Amino acid sequence: MKNKVLLGLLVVTVAVVFLVGVCATNSLAKDKIVVGMARPISGWMAVIGDSAFRPVYETWVKEVNAKGGIYVKEYGKKLPIELLIYDDKSDVGTMTRLTEKLIVQDKVDFLWPACGTAFVFAQAPIANKHGYILLTAEGGATQVKEMLRSLPYVFVGLSFSDWYQLPVFAELLGEKGAKTAYIMYVGDLFGIEYSGVAGIEFPKHGIDIVGISSVPPGAKDLSPIIKKAKASNADVFCCFGYPDQVLPATGTSIALGFNPKAWIGGPGANFGFYHTTFGPAVEGVMGFTSFSPKQSAAAKELADKLYAGKPEEIQDFWGHPLYWASLEFWKQAIEKAGTLDQKVIRDIMATQKFKTVLGPTWFENGLMAKECHTGEIGQWQKGMFEVVGPKKHATAKFVYPKPPWPKPKPKK
Amino acid sequence: MIVTFLDIVIAGLLMGGIYALIAVGLSLQYGVARVLNISHGEFIMIGAFGTWMLYKMVGINPLITLAMCGPVLFLIGFFLHKTLFRSLLASSASADIFEAKSMLASFGLLFIIQNIAILTWGADIKSYSYLNYGVNLGGALFAANRLVTLLFAVVISTAFYLFLAFTRLGKGIRAAAQDPRTAGLMGVNINQVLALCFGFGAVMAGLAGGLLSMCYPITTTMGMEYTIIAIIVVVLGGLGSIVGSFIGGFLLGIIGSIVTYIEPGLAMVSYYVIFIVLLLAKPTGILGK
Repeated sequence: MKNKVLLGLLVVTVAVVFLVGVCATNSLAKDKIVVGMARPISGWMAVIGDSAFRPVYETWVKEVNAKGGIYVKEYGKKLPIELLIYDDKSDVGTMTRLTEKLIVQDKVDFLWPACGTAFVFAQAPIANKHGYILLTAEGGATQVKEMLRSLPYVFVGLSFSDWYQLPVFAELLGEKGAKTAYIMYVGDLFGIEYSGVAGIEFPKHGIDIVGISSVPPGAKDLSPIIKKAKASNADVFCCFGYPDQVLPATGTSIALGFNPKAWIGGPGANFGFYHTTFGPAVEGVMGFTSFSPKQSAAAKELADKLYAGKPEEIQDFWGHPLYWASLEFWKQAIEKAGTLDQKVIRDIMATQKFKTVLGPTWFENGLMAKECHTGEIGQWQKGMFEVVGPKKHATAKFVYPKPPWPKPKPKK
Repeated sequence: MIVTFLDIVIAGLLMGGIYALIAVGLSLQYGVARVLNISHGEFIMIGAFGTWMLYKMVGINPLITLAMCGPVLFLIGFFLHKTLFRSLLASSASADIFEAKSMLASFGLLFIIQNIAILTWGADIKSYSYLNYGVNLGGALFAANRLVTLLFAVVISTAFYLFLAFTRLGKGIRAAAQDPRTAGLMGVNINQVLALCFGFGAVMAGLAGGLLSMCYPITTTMGMEYTIIAIIVVVLGGLGSIVGSFIGGFLLGIIGSIVTYIEPGLAMVSYYVIFIVLLLAKPTGILGK
């Protein structure tokens, strides 16, 4: 009997020592949080990835690591973030393979998003299948709302067409008495969605769509469309495309003297490089936005962190604040969870509010609540991309009609 | 009706001018030097970024930059041929093997140049506004920068054609295009001529890039799109035919303009349709033999 008791004590002691040892080893061994990403470092999407999420996560990670990292109670210490980034070469197939690799082979602690709506569509089910939280950056679409019901681990931070940009835009135009609109859209998921939502929202405010043209992503000469839009005499011109379309559409509108009462283009007009390309000529041009440094001390501080001492080209008033707020939200969720367990953190992200640069921030059914957005529609006014809608967040009054383009030089 | 006609034709010429310039460059490299240079578009990109950089950072007029970019790109192209392609040529048992090897090498070159460009200039979009005002031509309005682009494309291409037609070196290049072995026997320094052709091809691409940057946004990944167009135009015009490439460029521009007027989404499709039809009906191209 005595022997049995001694043997039992020995077994228990060994087990306790082993468990304590394992825990201690874990605690000591875990010295960083590895975040994996498949990003478009090369290829056609690199244009967007390089100027959208990248500057935000680079600045944010640097700031967090400078303070020691993210405090995780489970380990009793702050853990710095280490990024593991692969180039998906702007290819959806490559991105999905790399995402699987990051999860299965590299066993990263967290996954950060790929770039672009189509990429998000492909990546979200993979992350969800493996129980990895995916807080998206560039990309968002109406259809995502439907998908999110079956993807509890996916959280979408970016605002988009009916969340809640075009309803606000249509309301602004309706109040000013706009009656007609001409829509040019890029022939992909993004363009089709925005033109479709405009088709629903504009008539609600008495705006008729008098013309609509699609352009392929690689189209060079937009003058036939701009000439048709000019001939339609529409009050509003919408260019629902990427910078590849928005920049030449602007240049062609200026050159051909097409000056509707409202000119909106995005994503494109929200970037600093849009302003540096055309300078004061873009006075009155509109785009999509989510904040202005004028709105709060926190917004000003963020603008300083991201843009102070850097070229104006890198500014992005639509995505940057939302990406930053998403990362702040994610960090606080981890700290609240006190663990790196995805399920625990996911439940916190889905149900709780945290204070971010936008103010109180939360997610509803996987989407950042539209009440958290501090802007939807922006307008270039005196060199600043002001928030003009919704009115409760406006930093300037909506100028309608927009001023004329600079006077052309004498014609032949 | 007349305005619409002018709209379509002039818009076609404007695009065709750039296509012609790009294709003349590739025609020299492929038609004469036998290098199907897949990295041709990367030289366009270098020209475009050089022009953008000098305009935005130093304020140099893009038209003056063209004169500065030309010699630099020539030297790059010339030495690339003298080193990389010359050694491939020396180690190839036949012209076919050299073509295959050089094409693979130019693929590698594409990635090297593109990645250096991404590291240097980033992957984001660049653009500037230059001569961006309307000019009225018979009731049809066009941006002045595009008209200037057309003018320069025509002047550069014509000057190069005259160089080929009337200078001793030009005649050497033409001879090498027709029959390199015989031309060599006649005293033409073939290796020198091939390197010169590659250099001139790079110059044409660079100049086209500079002109493109005046009208359209540019990115470090823009090259491949133009390489494909250049290949279509070279085949359309006839391999090795400078004049054929010139005509092919304008033809493709006008066809693209007509299709764009009807349905912008089908412009690129129409290029491929032309390419396929041509390969089936007249594989030698318009002026090919």
